[in-house]
Formats: sequence, C-alpha cells, structure tokens
Amino acid sequence: MSLLELKNVTKCFGGIVAVKDLSFSLNDGEIAGLIGPNGAGKTTVFNLITGVYKVTEGIILFEGKDINKCDPVSIVRGGIARTFQNIRLFNKLSVMENIKTVLFREANYNFAQVLMKTPKVVKMERHLTERSMEYLKVVGLEQYANFRADSLPYGLQRKLEIARALALKPKLLLLDEPAAGMNPEESLALVDLIRYIKEQYNLTIILIEHHMDVVMELCPRIIVINFGELLIDGSKEKVQSDERVLKAYLGEEYANVAGN
Amino acid sequence: MFLQTLITGLSIGGIYALMAVGYSLVFSILNFSNFAHGTIIMLGAYIGYFLISSFKLGFPFSFIGAIVGAALLALINVRLAYSPLINRKAPPLYLMITAMGVSIFLENMVYVTVGSHFYSFPEIFKQSTIKFFGSDISPLDLFALIFSFIAIFALHLFLTRTKMGTAIRAASYDMTVASLNGVNMNKLIGIVFILAGAFGGLAGVFLGVKYMVYPTMGWITNKAYIAAVIGGLGSLPGAVIGGVILGVLETFVSVYVSSVIRDVFSFSLVILFLVILPAGLLGKYLEEKV
Amino acid sequence: MEYIYGVISVIGIEIIATVGLSVFTGFTGLFSLGHAAFMAIGAYTAAILTYFYNVPFILALLAGMLMSALVSFVIGFPTLRAKLRGDYFAIATLGFGEAIRVILENLSITQGARGLPGISHFTTLPVVAIFSVIVVWMTRNFILSKFGRNAIAVREDAVAAEMAGIDIFRVRMLSLVYSAACGGLAGGLFAHYLNFIQPAMFTSILSTQLTSAVVAGGMGSLTGPIIAISFFIAVPEVLRVANMWRLVAYGLILVLIMIYRPSGIMGYHELSFASFKNLFNRKAANQSAGGRRM
Repeated sequence: MSLLELKNVTKCFGGIVAVKDLSFSLNDGEIAGLIGPNGAGKTTVFNLITGVYKVTEGIILFEGKDINKCDPVSIVRGGIARTFQNIRLFNKLSVMENIKTVLFREANYNFAQVLMKTPKVVKMERHLTERSMEYLKVVGLEQYANFRADSLPYGLQRKLEIARALALKPKLLLLDEPAAGMNPEESLALVDLIRYIKEQYNLTIILIEHHMDVVMELCPRIIVINFGELLIDGSKEKVQSDERVLKAYLGEEYANVAGN
Repeated sequence: MFLQTLITGLSIGGIYALMAVGYSLVFSILNFSNFAHGTIIMLGAYIGYFLISSFKLGFPFSFIGAIVGAALLALINVRLAYSPLINRKAPPLYLMITAMGVSIFLENMVYVTVGSHFYSFPEIFKQSTIKFFGSDISPLDLFALIFSFIAIFALHLFLTRTKMGTAIRAASYDMTVASLNGVNMNKLIGIVFILAGAFGGLAGVFLGVKYMVYPTMGWITNKAYIAAVIGGLGSLPGAVIGGVILGVLETFVSVYVSSVIRDVFSFSLVILFLVILPAGLLGKYLEEKV
Repeated sequence: MEYIYGVISVIGIEIIATVGLSVFTGFTGLFSLGHAAFMAIGAYTAAILTYFYNVPFILALLAGMLMSALVSFVIGFPTLRAKLRGDYFAIATLGFGEAIRVILENLSITQGARGLPGISHFTTLPVVAIFSVIVVWMTRNFILSKFGRNAIAVREDAVAAEMAGIDIFRVRMLSLVYSAACGGLAGGLFAHYLNFIQPAMFTSILSTQLTSAVVAGGMGSLTGPIIAISFFIAVPEVLRVANMWRLVAYGLILVLIMIYRPSGIMGYHELSFASFKNLFNRKAANQSAGGRRM
C-alpha cells in the first residue's frame, strides 16, 4: 500500500490555479525528488500535504486515510514532518531548546507539577535534554547545543531544521530545498546525512531541491511539475533524458545543448 | 423616532467612516494597526478649536488648518517613530507597540500642557433643525454626513485615477514588488500618512463640533477602529460600510436598549465579527505565506 | 519607615501582575490593552468575599484568582480560537476592559462608582513578599518547562510551531489564563492593602504601566520586567511626579525602546549569578544562549 497518495489535487488562490489535477503516490521507504521551475507549485504541494492550505479539489491520502479535513497539528502528529524553504526556526531559543520544544509530547508531566517543580519534572527535563542531544548528534550540531538558533550560520540552521523535523518522529519527511545556499562540499555532506537518516529512521522522503546533483544523487525517482501540473513522474534516467523536462526546467537553449 | 434614530446613526457612522479610513489606509500598506491615529484626530480637533476661538480664523480656515495640521503631525509621527522600524523590517507587533506609545505620549502631553478642560466649538450652525418627514435633523449632522462621503469619494478617485494612488494600491498588495518597480516607498508611506492625517483632522473637527474637545476624545476613535475591523482592515469601502453599520447599530442600541451598554455592545459586535468573519466584510484574508 | 514599607508592598504586588503579563505578552507574544481588568476582577472578588461574607483572606485571594482565570477564558476562547492577528486581540481586550468597568460601576454588590471602603488590611509586607516570591518562582518553572518553550515557539513562529505539532490555541489560552490568575491575585492583594477599591483605580493607566514594564524590561525575560516595574513605581515616588507625567514617560519609553532596543533592557537574558560570570567570560557571553537559564 502506498504511504502517501495525491488524487487529482487542485488548489486555487482566488482565480490563480497553483496546483492543477496533480496525482502521484509514494510507497513506504521511497525517496522522491519533486522538481520544477520556480513558481511551479512545489512548496504549495508541501503546504497541501501538511494541511497549511486546504485543497480546492481532489483528495490526499496518508496511510490510506483522507487527511484533507485534518488540521496541521493532527497531520504532524500522524507522522508527516517538514522543513521550510525560508528557514523557520524558533530563533530566540537555543539550538537544544529548538529540539526540546518539539519533543514536548514525550514530557508526561502536567502543569501543576511544573509550577511546583516536582522531581518528576526535573527528571523529565533531563530526559528531554538527553533525547535532544541524540538528534543534535545525528546532524552534527552537538557542540552548538547552547547557541541561540539565529546565531548559527545558514547551513547549520538548515541542519537544525532537519533535526527538529526528525524529532517529530515522522514516517514521511518533506524537505524543502535543504541544500539552498550550500556550497558543493556542504551539499555532498547533506546527501550523506539525508541518506543516513532515511536508513536510520525508516523514512519516506520527498525532496524539493534546485541543486540537481543532490537530487540525482539521492532520488531514484523524480516527479517534475510545471505550472502546477504534473509533467513527468518516473525514474531519474527517464527524467534526465526527457526533452520536455529539460525545456521546462533548464530553458529552451540549454535543452538543445544537452540534447546534442 | 425610528427615522430620527436612523439619521443620527448615519451621521455618527459617517464620522466613524471618516476615522476608519485612516486606520485602513495605513493598515493596507504597513499591515499594522496604527493606534496613534486616534490621537492625531484628537490633536486635529484641538488645532481646529484654537484656530477658531483663539485666532478667530473663521470656520473654513480653521477647518483647513486642522486638516493640514493633523496631516503634518501624522507625517512627523511616521518619520520620527515608525520609519526606523519600517526600515529595519520590524514585525508588525513592534509597530503596534510604538503606535500605542505615541498615542499614550501625545494624549498625556495634552493633559499636562493644555489641561483636561472640555472645550466646545463656538456655534457654527444655527441650533435650528430641519424638518424631514417629521424628524428633526441638525444641519451639522447633515453637513458632516455629506461632507464625509464627499471626502471619501474624493479619496477613492485619488486612489483609482491617479498615478500615486495606483502606486499605493500596488503597494498594498505587495510592497516588495512595488518597490522593485521603482515606487519610492518612503515617499509613498509619507503620502499615505498625510492622507490618513488629513482625514483624521477632518474627523477631529466634526467630532469636536458634535461633542467637545478634550484629551481623551481619542477613546471614540477606538470605535472607528472597530468599524474598520468590521468592514475589513485595509479595505476602503469596508471602512465606510463598517463605519455606517456600527454607527447605526450603536445608536439603535443606545436609544432602544441602554446607552450604558453602547460601548460594550460595539466591542462584543467586533468580537462576534472576528469569530465569524476574520477578514471582516470586505477585507483580504491573507493566508500566511509559508 | 512605614512609607518605604508601603512603596515596597506596592512594588511586590505589581511584580506579581507584571510577571503574569510577561508570560502572556513577553513569552507568548500577544498584546493586552486591558490587563488591569483582571486585577479589578481579582480585587472585587476577594474584597467582596472578605467584606460581606467573612471568608478567610487566603481563600478569598484564591477565589479572586479563579474568577479572573474564568473570565479570561470567556474572553480568550472566541478571540484566540480564531487565531486572530495580535492587533485584533488587543482591541478585544480594550473592549473587555471597558465592559468590566461598566459592570463594576453598575452592580449593586460592588457599590458602583463609589467603590468599597473599609476592606480589612490583611496585605502586610511579609504577605506580599511571600506571594511575590512564590509567583516569580512558579513563573520561572513555567517558562523553563515544555509549556514555556511551546509559548516561546508560538511567539517566534506560529506556523513553524503548528508544523511541530503544537496546538497554538491551547498554548495561548494557557498563557492568558495564567496571566489573568496572576493579575487576579495581585488585585486581591491590592484591595486588602489599600482597604478601599473603586472601578476608577483599574484604568488604562494601570494597564499601560504593566505593559510598559514588560516591553521595557524585555519581552522574553522575567527579571527585566521585574526590574522595570520596580523602577516605574519607585522613581516617581522619589521624584514625586504627577500621574500624567508618568504616562508621558511610559509612552516615550515604549517608543524609544521599540526604536533603539526592541528586546528591552534585559533582552532575552536573565539577571543571575551566571550572567555576572559571563561578564568576565566575554566569549561565552557572546556566543552562548545560556542566558535563559536562571
């Protein structure tokens, strides 16, 4: 059974059709690239899956359940986590606290216990600290644990976002341009990281990315959309050699060069 | 009785609309609630009052003086207090707090300098009333109502028919894009505040003539803000409709129910509106960009 | 000496209200323009109970807190549920403050605008001291728990918080109810300190004072607002300035803080022994975010 399935999904903003009749499905354990030119509607697809926007038409199934009507919070709790194109960390909290925050459901103390600061609270907080450290180690941020999130350089902020998403214990992880602003070595390290977390946490991943080397390295399957519509959905070899993709994505001129 | 109430309500609604326009103009481009607008209105009323009673300028010139004065104050307000925040792209909450600060500062400056006296405008219109289908209408109410709508219509023409107006409307959709297209944002923001201030001065004089001039008269402007919210913050027609609706409903409540609960009614109304229609009647409901 | 004790008592009482407001405004990022109303509810509830019904002081205080919390729930439920913009909530609180004033002035048990004289003087300096220490300690525990982190997350980025599974409405509601309860307690103490209350005491002047203290002290700090409110009360007492000049100053402070130091005097830090140590260890102070630890 497929983990995620979009059936004829359409999203309109006023008169503008951002996503049009889009269908694709994703099996458990798959990693797929979602690519397309700027403004193709990639992030909108993420926003629809995570419930930030409601679909205008069509349905989205996650583990066979219709999640159209769910609010974002229950969708996250159901097992879909994401990162953001324009990094959205809790800036004034420390790196560690960013992770601790999203682990809040592991802390089974109540409000009265908090006010009295019972030993249970102290113990749970210590537990949360250890748990967050695990996630920070995965992305290699443990030495920055006490830095304020907004004091980190750009690349590390992206890693922290990935760690924060991991801490939500998702089954499906949506990565929105994780390599943006990274240099080639950093992107390479990111590829290794994504591969590692996918294996380690049994994740299914959709990756939006403009760095083609990252996409080609990671994703055996690529979904291309253009103007909100599905252009092609297939293996990376198929997509690489498809002329329409080259035209849409790289422009007419480059397509000719590449075609030769 | 009914007709009388309706007409009183309409004339109050007209003044609300006039004030609400100022909130909406600023909100449409800067996306924050300018709580200092009420104070500008109050200062406009003071300027009008002193021009007419101390400087004996006569009504038309005092009227114009109040409008110009309030517009200038609004411009000074934005340049001194808001521009530093706008330039560093501070969040709207910070701008709102600043606006609160400006409002508290100016209102109490009036208290400590001018004092807490109530001033009333010299009689401009004869106290006589016009008979209209058996109801009494004061010429002042009629004048205020008509003048308010003329002014708002003129603003509408300015926004739709002139180059600057188009630029303002463009900026209200997307400030970044507008500035990329060569719109001088600083100048544009200045013009928006001058317009808002001018409307504030106008409303201030009407308020002062109708009621009195005193430091906390800005409290009434909170209801103009409510009117703007009901109509949909950032929408000009919304401000007008919201103002009229609030003015009429409120007058009916105070006549037929109790004048004590009039203000409480207005605030409950806005809460009800926000729950049912978060964007107001005509507001653009912005789904936050993620 | 009595006079100084009096000033210190007032400071202690207002610290309780300020700390409560700082949870709501400073840590959760919502703005209230009518916080004095919660103090009024607590003050009247507690005073009516001790004055007319001879309820023990401590129970009356608790009842005041409870009443305040309940009322805050009523105002918060519709307005916070709709995930409204902060400005809308602010205007709703303004209306709420007005509604409370109208109710207090028209009920018979509150004796209208004349107020309630002859309330017993139960609020002594030790009482204030004990309550303010407890409230500050509990608030600190709140802020350093998952509840506090969730509040800050919502303040920093509501969308990201929602995408992290945080229920924004519940977080905001909890902060509102907590800060209302603190306000109610402060009000109850206030009534039994002054021995007299009337609706006119709980006006926007008081709300402004609390809000200015939170903004000036630092939205995201507990010690900052505590220091700020202490100054706000002590300095005018020493200089003997009129109320209106105080308000002129508060207005100016709000504007200047927002322009020059929006994070407030303490920023996101806390005054603590650790921060003194950090002064000597510059590098750590510059890099670490450990300031939130108290």
